[in-house]
Amino acid sequence: MSEVRPVPFRGGGFRPRSIGVVGPIVFVVLISAWEAASRLGLITPLVLPAPSEAAAAFWELLETGRLWLHLSASLQRLVVGWTLGTLVGVSAGFAIGLFSLARAGLMPVVSALFPIPKIALLPLFIIWFGIGEGSKVATLFFGTFFPTVIATYAGVDGVDRTLIRMGQSFGLTWWSIVRKIVLPGALPAILSGFRISASIAIILLVAAEMIGAEFGIGAYVLLAGNLMATDQLIAGVAMLSVMGLTVGFLISRAERLLLRWRG
Amino acid sequence: MIDRLFSRRRVAHLLGAALFAAAGATATAQAAEKVTIGALRFTSSAPLFVAFERGYFADEGLDAEFSFFQAAQPVAVAIASGDVDFGVTALTGGFFNLASKGALKVIGGHFHEEKGYDGSAILVSNKAYEAGFTSVDKFPGHSLGMTQVGSSFHYMAGRIAEAKGFPLSDITLLPLQKVGAIIAALKSGQVDSMIIVPHIARPLDRGGAAKIIGWVYDYAPYQVTTLFTSTNNTESKPELVKRFVKAYQRGIADYRAVMLNQAKDPAATEEMTKLIHKYVYADRPYEKAAPSIKAGAIYVNENARLDVGDVKAQLEWFQAQGFVPGGFDYRAIVDTSFVEAYNLPK
Amino acid sequence: MELRLDGITHRYGAVTVLDGIDLAVGSGQVVCLVGPSGCGKSTLLRIIGGLEMPTGGAVHLMGEPPEGCFNPLTYVFQDFALLPWRTAADNVSLVLEDHPLSAEARSAVVADVLARTKLTDFANAWPRQLSGGMKQRVALARALAVRPAVMLMDEPLSALDSQTRELLMEDLIGLWERERFTAVYVTHNLLEAVRLGHRVVVLSRRPGRISEQMTIDTPLAERDMADPILLAKAERLWVAMRDEAAAADRELLHV
Repeated sequence: MSEVRPVPFRGGGFRPRSIGVVGPIVFVVLISAWEAASRLGLITPLVLPAPSEAAAAFWELLETGRLWLHLSASLQRLVVGWTLGTLVGVSAGFAIGLFSLARAGLMPVVSALFPIPKIALLPLFIIWFGIGEGSKVATLFFGTFFPTVIATYAGVDGVDRTLIRMGQSFGLTWWSIVRKIVLPGALPAILSGFRISASIAIILLVAAEMIGAEFGIGAYVLLAGNLMATDQLIAGVAMLSVMGLTVGFLISRAERLLLRWRG
Repeated sequence: MIDRLFSRRRVAHLLGAALFAAAGATATAQAAEKVTIGALRFTSSAPLFVAFERGYFADEGLDAEFSFFQAAQPVAVAIASGDVDFGVTALTGGFFNLASKGALKVIGGHFHEEKGYDGSAILVSNKAYEAGFTSVDKFPGHSLGMTQVGSSFHYMAGRIAEAKGFPLSDITLLPLQKVGAIIAALKSGQVDSMIIVPHIARPLDRGGAAKIIGWVYDYAPYQVTTLFTSTNNTESKPELVKRFVKAYQRGIADYRAVMLNQAKDPAATEEMTKLIHKYVYADRPYEKAAPSIKAGAIYVNENARLDVGDVKAQLEWFQAQGFVPGGFDYRAIVDTSFVEAYNLPK
Repeated sequence: MELRLDGITHRYGAVTVLDGIDLAVGSGQVVCLVGPSGCGKSTLLRIIGGLEMPTGGAVHLMGEPPEGCFNPLTYVFQDFALLPWRTAADNVSLVLEDHPLSAEARSAVVADVLARTKLTDFANAWPRQLSGGMKQRVALARALAVRPAVMLMDEPLSALDSQTRELLMEDLIGLWERERFTAVYVTHNLLEAVRLGHRVVVLSRRPGRISEQMTIDTPLAERDMADPILLAKAERLWVAMRDEAAAADRELLHV
């Protein structure tokens, strides 16, 4: 008899688990290292301000009450622009997904207009929508509209046709099928579309607030850039990042609530 | 601090010097020193082009080359980082903030708002004009389109308000980022006014698209653009800076002689316009570009004299507005050892 | 209700899938459709259910639907076709929501059909929590909820393992005994066919034609798979189909 050996374990791996504490630790380590390097003079203030300086700039915003002015202006634009873009985008996406005529007519338009950087159209937006809230909301609207359309019609296309046939076989009305089968079936795709469109809206905030904005996080970041006030710049960018994280968190909550059935 | 900045050029210099030494070459003929000039393709940069084309930099043993930028701010950033040696742009909040970190020094004057010479014009939209905005006194309650908060336009508005005795907050300042965008907004009546260089202002006025209601020099004679370089250059290579300034002064002298009195010698004007056209409006045929170039002639300080008193006033204004931190004064950012300084603060 | 198929012909482009199918299904009768894969039996069922337009011929429905019938021709799908975002009870409720029923009446119907399919305890379970057999029971409950006159069943048991299949067959027979619905039952499993069908109709391979019909007189409730007569019938069906099935297996797919 030859020797008896245990079979070595070869499985495992390729199964990422979520480890809650690692993310915050990475942040803390990175920021501490950055702060230390700034204090030791390894990073000059001209290249990058210390995190504490950015924090001081943020504190100043908070103390003077301007934080609220900037934040409320931006949030208002985000909410209005994103909501309008989403409403119209979801409707257009459903039209494309449900009607051949809409698909034939709208798809080429959406494909042609989606890749246009909305920032390039800003001068035209000024003339069309004015330098007030109009052009800012329009920039966010167009920024969210296109990804929403694409996510929605892809979601509608992806709805299991058997389920639709089932609805028809039971004599459900067209409207019932759309409302009870197509809409919930497309919802996961629509929600991940929201994730993308909300991020795009935050990215576009800076562009939108280039035009005649006195307040807004985007305007604050732009002003900081113009003035080479890098501490304010970092503080502003960090606020945009926090806005992104918040939106991501809210959408995760919405997903958990609306897509309970996925388990 | 600046020593620790990343500079590809500096590394390249070191490498070059090392190779030179390795080759064992003796310095028989001193090679021309390389300098990079950050410039905008504006008519206001013309003296630099004249000095270059006429070989004044070469005469000083400088191998000058241009690096072109779209806006003033990046020129200052490039000089601070050591990628560019000299630049001529307006003093802005961003410039002062960079300079406050010790990286930049103002060493000479350039465009100056001066009575009797075309300078920045105050333009009003037709709509606002018809509604009664016919003079600078009527500024309060109206809007002004400008590129950015903390730009030279912002400063000019501040000086006008000061001269007319109303708070700047009486004007709605609208940052629109680009001159094109401001003009579009002015034409469509979405902003009431703007401040702009004469060769843009005059055609708009003449074409009936807007009305000129005043000139900035009437309210604020001031040092609009300056010549600046890195602190590193003024401290470790003052000889090089001196030679550069000398060539630059010759360019200014030629420019002033011809362009500030264009009727005197039309042939010379034509020749200099052709020279400038190589750099400015190069995408337009000469016949179309020439009037703009001629109209764009601005008052440049003789011998690049520097209005130090105004630089001080500007810095203090930006500090008072909160765009630039306090705790330093003009002496930290001006080096008067290269040109004549005038209007010195007491 | 009775069903009559007159010369059903169907083509996908140049390929003829069904060729002149004539078939009558009497009231309360279960007809099993068998045939080699790709013979068009599922297509035929969709045509009967009005989910596909035949190229030629027509399907007729005769007689009055039973009292309170919402959907005379009711389909049961192979893959259950449950909405994953609705619980078992809500999946059943779905097909009643477009009909004029009070909320109480509707939940009474739902409770009743869930009880009849032994699902009362699972009314609030999500489809993902249910086994295949349970899912098909929900689908059956949903079909029963509309009081169908004719059940059209497209291989309803083929996605299930054999034990579950056995249990569900018993359930189906029990349901038929109570409701006496008319049914067309498509399957590729011959034992299932002889177990559940009053009549077994064999379709030939493409183009599908009726190649054989067999009547089984033993009442459904009395059928026992150990019965040599039933086994012999299954064997006879297999002999009739065997060569066709082998040929169909070697066929290249065109569609």
